[in-house]
Amino acid sequence: MRSVRTIARRELAQYFTSPIAYLVAFAVLVLTGWQFNVDLAQRVGRQPPDGAAVLGAFAFFTLFFAPLLTMRLLAEEAREGTLELLLTAPVRDGDIVLGKFLGAWLYYTLILGLTLVYQAIWLAITTARAYTLTPELDIGPVITAYLGIWLFGGAALALGLLFSALTENQVIAGFLSMSVLFILWLGDYAGHVIQSRALAQVIRELSLQAHYATSFLVGVIRFEDAVFFIGVIIAALFIATRVLESRRWR
Amino acid sequence: MIDVDRLTKRYGRFVALDGISFHAGSGEIVGFLGPNGAGKTTTMRVLTGYMPPTEGTARITGFDVFADSLAVRERVGYLPETVRLYREMTVRGYLKFMGQLRGVDRLGARIDEVLDLVGLRERARRLISSLSKGMQQRLGLAQAILHDPPVLILDEPTIGLDPHQVQDLRALIRELGRTRTVLLSTHILSEAEQICDRVIIIDRGRIVAEDTPANLREGLTRSSRLFVRVGATRGDTAGLLANVPGVTGVSPAADGFLLTSAPQANDVRPAVASAIVGQGWPLLELRPWATTLEEIFLELTARLDAPTSDGGGTRHA
Repeated sequence: MRSVRTIARRELAQYFTSPIAYLVAFAVLVLTGWQFNVDLAQRVGRQPPDGAAVLGAFAFFTLFFAPLLTMRLLAEEAREGTLELLLTAPVRDGDIVLGKFLGAWLYYTLILGLTLVYQAIWLAITTARAYTLTPELDIGPVITAYLGIWLFGGAALALGLLFSALTENQVIAGFLSMSVLFILWLGDYAGHVIQSRALAQVIRELSLQAHYATSFLVGVIRFEDAVFFIGVIIAALFIATRVLESRRWR
Repeated sequence: MIDVDRLTKRYGRFVALDGISFHAGSGEIVGFLGPNGAGKTTTMRVLTGYMPPTEGTARITGFDVFADSLAVRERVGYLPETVRLYREMTVRGYLKFMGQLRGVDRLGARIDEVLDLVGLRERARRLISSLSKGMQQRLGLAQAILHDPPVLILDEPTIGLDPHQVQDLRALIRELGRTRTVLLSTHILSEAEQICDRVIIIDRGRIVAEDTPANLREGLTRSSRLFVRVGATRGDTAGLLANVPGVTGVSPAADGFLLTSAPQANDVRPAVASAIVGQGWPLLELRPWATTLEEIFLELTARLDAPTSDGGGTRHA
């Protein structure tokens, strides 16, 4: 556990010493801010506030920026040769993978935390006198939406880490994980293009969107959806560990 | 401390290590000598738990490198052939990270100690990317000794250092080797002679010789040789020397002659000297001709086949 913590802490610190992390945070805030602004303008005085609306966009952006956060995790170490000293330190391969994953997830959590500013704005608006006609912010769905997007991000990062373990090339790792996340995201639409009902159903079950947009995002915590994301995380980390182990045999 | 038994490592069809066995005890500095691609790095990678052997076993302080890999890795300090460190970390930050991974007690004080040993104390707050190659090498050594391991495995530790640093580092390794087991690889033969208690010469995955540097020289010198230099004469120097009792051969060398004598013969130097002086010739130099480790090395690792077999193969990361 000590080594997991040490590695996670190093990875987290790593994000703050590289420009990519700041760029990601910047881009996410700009995009979600714009989204929020549009949503706010539509709702104020007309519709009830929906704190989760902005997270629907956040989930979509995650498809693009999660790979940017994970692509270097193992690929860079393999390419740079720093992996040799890590693999000869008294640390289990699984601890290395878990530590790196937690470091990335923690950073993701921080970025996600930045969006709380929008919830604060909603609270400020709905409690202010000028907008007494606007109903108060329903906090329940907001909490489930955050829980969902947090698990969703974890699954995206775990998949990204898996691809980073598979190749020494960061660009390939990033591209592959982005592609796979996108395909999984679009799984919802499989029914439109696939004749076989059964097959479409299977693909739809693998869709990242279906497990988030129709449950957590609308204020429902479904056991199976939570299990889905946690399952993806565990499976991806398990395979990534196996891939890392297999390096020793090459 | 290090027990290697019939260790074999194959990469696909390429045999990098072909059943090598050796032992290194506590307080011993063992030099691993061999041409590039001989299997030095592969051996070290197996011993440090980086990769498992194909066949055979290796034990370090009694723990099997494969079955008890974590226990082995706790007890070994490793300096890889090409030291690659996290460039964007500071010197101290890096050592802190490695120390925490290894659970080193009183880490802060220990880092200061190690930085003093390798002479990087003033650079503690610098980024690793700003260090010279030699400094990075020394930082690599610092992380290897940080947890005070009983076994040190150093892959070409003096490469890329300037002559001063090389001397300092050799002194440091000798110092460390007094209480630990040190296995170091090098292809600088004078280095092996200078710091190693024992030398293992390895070629194409096999051990071709193993002894103390002095014994290796001794054993491979089938006959003792003398170098003689005589001032200008008109006589037949070679002929005179060949007739000295005990001398079995005379061959011309730069500025003089190389005499060989039977291995068990008495010292022929007095006879040679009096023969030359008896002729009234000026004797300028008379000394034993030592075989260098260099010559032994070349002799042992002489390739019968073309150099195409030098397939590298150790850099498989």
